[in-house]
Amino acid sequence: MGISIKESDVGNLLALEGTIDIGCAAELKAVLLRALGSGGEIRVMLGEVAYMDVTAAQLLWAAELQARRSGVVFQISGPLPELVSTLLTETGFPSLAASLSVE
Amino acid sequence: MRGARVTIAGNADEFKQSFREEAREILVDLESALLELNENRGDQELVGRVFRALHTIKGSGSMFGFEDLATFTHNLENAFDEVRNGRLQVGSELIDLTLSALDQIRAMLEEREGAAEGEACAEILAKVRKLTGVAEHRPAASKVPKTLAASVGGRARQWIIHFAPGPDLLLNGANPLLLFAELRELGGLSVKASMEMIPPLAELDPERCYVSWEMVLATTAGREAIRDVFIFVEDSCQLAIEPASGSEVEDGQSRDAVARGLEESRAPSGGRRTYDKPDNASSIRVPAAKLDQFVDLVGELVTTQARLAELSARRDDPEIAEVSEEIERLTSALRENSMNIRMLPIRGTFEKFRRLVHDLARDLGKDVELTMDGADTELDKTVIDQLGDPLMHLIRNSMDHGVESRELRLERGKRATATIHLSARHSGASVLIAVSDDGGGIDADAVRNRAIERGLVPCDAQLTETETFALLFQPGFSTAKQVTDVSGRGVGMDVVRQRVESLRGTIDVASKPGSGTSVTLRLPLTLAIIDGLLVSVADACFVLPLASTLECIELTSADIERANGKHVANVRGAIVPYIRLREHFNTNSMRPDLEQIMVVETGEGPFGFVVDQVLGDCQTVIKSLGRVYRHVQAVSGATILGDGRVALILDPERLVQDALRSQTLGARTPGAPPGSRSGLARVRDTKFRAE
Repeated sequence: MGISIKESDVGNLLALEGTIDIGCAAELKAVLLRALGSGGEIRVMLGEVAYMDVTAAQLLWAAELQARRSGVVFQISGPLPELVSTLLTETGFPSLAASLSVE
Repeated sequence: MRGARVTIAGNADEFKQSFREEAREILVDLESALLELNENRGDQELVGRVFRALHTIKGSGSMFGFEDLATFTHNLENAFDEVRNGRLQVGSELIDLTLSALDQIRAMLEEREGAAEGEACAEILAKVRKLTGVAEHRPAASKVPKTLAASVGGRARQWIIHFAPGPDLLLNGANPLLLFAELRELGGLSVKASMEMIPPLAELDPERCYVSWEMVLATTAGREAIRDVFIFVEDSCQLAIEPASGSEVEDGQSRDAVARGLEESRAPSGGRRTYDKPDNASSIRVPAAKLDQFVDLVGELVTTQARLAELSARRDDPEIAEVSEEIERLTSALRENSMNIRMLPIRGTFEKFRRLVHDLARDLGKDVELTMDGADTELDKTVIDQLGDPLMHLIRNSMDHGVESRELRLERGKRATATIHLSARHSGASVLIAVSDDGGGIDADAVRNRAIERGLVPCDAQLTETETFALLFQPGFSTAKQVTDVSGRGVGMDVVRQRVESLRGTIDVASKPGSGTSVTLRLPLTLAIIDGLLVSVADACFVLPLASTLECIELTSADIERANGKHVANVRGAIVPYIRLREHFNTNSMRPDLEQIMVVETGEGPFGFVVDQVLGDCQTVIKSLGRVYRHVQAVSGATILGDGRVALILDPERLVQDALRSQTLGARTPGAPPGSRSGLARVRDTKFRAE
């Protein structure tokens, strides 16, 4: 798993890649909290994600909810890989996939 | 940016171990079902049982990281799916292939090196594919769901499944995605995750599972088959599986309809429902080591309670006496309960031998069926654990040497198919386990001649039949003309003898030429705690097992005189031989004028043991005497008395055997006057006891 975070004038760009599972859940939570704490817009790139488990789905759900309540833009940038989309649908998170509106 | 990975190895290993344990149990049932299926090849219920077991092992194996095992099993599952659908007939080849596959699965469970890649594995799979005509198929974790028409192929039913995993589900290495994939193999599935329990991000423990799921599954499978999917997570989750009302699904109904069903079935409040799992938890799995520790602690408690009782007896304090009696009552109940927990039916051990008999019959080219009775007889787990090897050797011996070839049986007017019969029953404080066959019986002359050849007995020895049979248990003794893969090295029976001896048991052999042989193992019910009778001889205390004690009578000088010095007592007209422990143990002290005879039931009938005094009953925690004293046959262990003294626990059977052997060999009983024989009367012919 790899998570990189870039700051720009408008906010944070989080690029996730590889396997996002329980092994890096704590790291993903820290990155999301830091991004939300910065107050700027958050864009998450999932284009290079090969696999995502329930822990990742929970964290993205919670981050998106917190961003919405705080009036912060939280968006998925770039394409959502088909496998990730299928995973989210098959594990009953279609609304999560939808709420992470792909730009 | 890369962060430190969280290690989950500890929990995952624990969960893997749990999977292994449950999978082993499933394999035992599977093996049994296969062997039954071999005899009832049209039994669809058995086919279903085999299919479900394979399906469960496959699905759960995949979930816990045994991918190779899952793939391997999946091919077998396909074969039995073909059987279910009437496209493949059950035959010897399929049964034997599946049995061989079970051995491979066992090896994979142990993660033995190369178990999954081995030639045997590939060979089995190739044969299975050839048999079924189905190409290799690897189960996919996240394939596109099947349509209902494709998956259920008939009238299906809708099931509403509520699955709320425990918080540690993910930490334990389980993956809900794989559960859903497995459910999809049963039919059309619609899944909806419930996110209500996910806390705000800052409070969220990233490794916990906060999500629960509601699903609708349209399948022809029943509730148990659905529950099997969750078998390895069931203990740590809330699970409810309910049929949807009016839930029959027509062929070709779309998955959307299932999704609609889910929407309709959802609770209006959106909250969690009442789940049925807790009500179903009627048993729990406890590691055997914990149980052993528990029994050890109860043993210590029993010893301490004896000290308290001793103390209470010395102090004349009614309050202490009352508490002591109450503690004694509770300790006794606790002891009984703890021993009951360790009691297991012997069925599991018996069932394992179906496979042995099946394989040996095939290898030896004989027709043999295994029958059993008394499989529900319970005995201590420690005893059961030790029984596997002796029974295996006895069965192997019966099948190789006892059971005749099909041709010879027909020639002798017997049924072509021979029978090996396993039986178990309680007898006092013992359990009798017998292995019988309807083979040719033991050739006593051949045994005797072989013993003479080997110099075990002199050429002119006059051996009774039972003494002759005893020779079979000598190390390295065999009458087999050639050593086979099965037996003939003279090792097996020696193993039986040693193991039975270590369990403080005895062996009886009965055989009739042409009709068969029966070997009966008499074993104690438990090896941990027994009810005993405390007796004294001179300054020493001994314990006799209460369960085998019949009565206690007085022995006066007049009684001894009337018997003319013979060691026999007249008990209400019956002559009962006795052993005077004072003499047997060579105790140098004055004999009291009035002695007590403890009459005990032994394999030789009632036998008396003369002691100075009977002190009373006691709960006896059996302590091993250790390896140094392993050859002391007449003592089965020791126990610590309330006053801290050690009392030896006597084995009446062994004492009698010792005495009888002394008499047979013409030896003087220790302590008896010089020049005299023991005076022990032998009241009836004895059966052989292996020593």
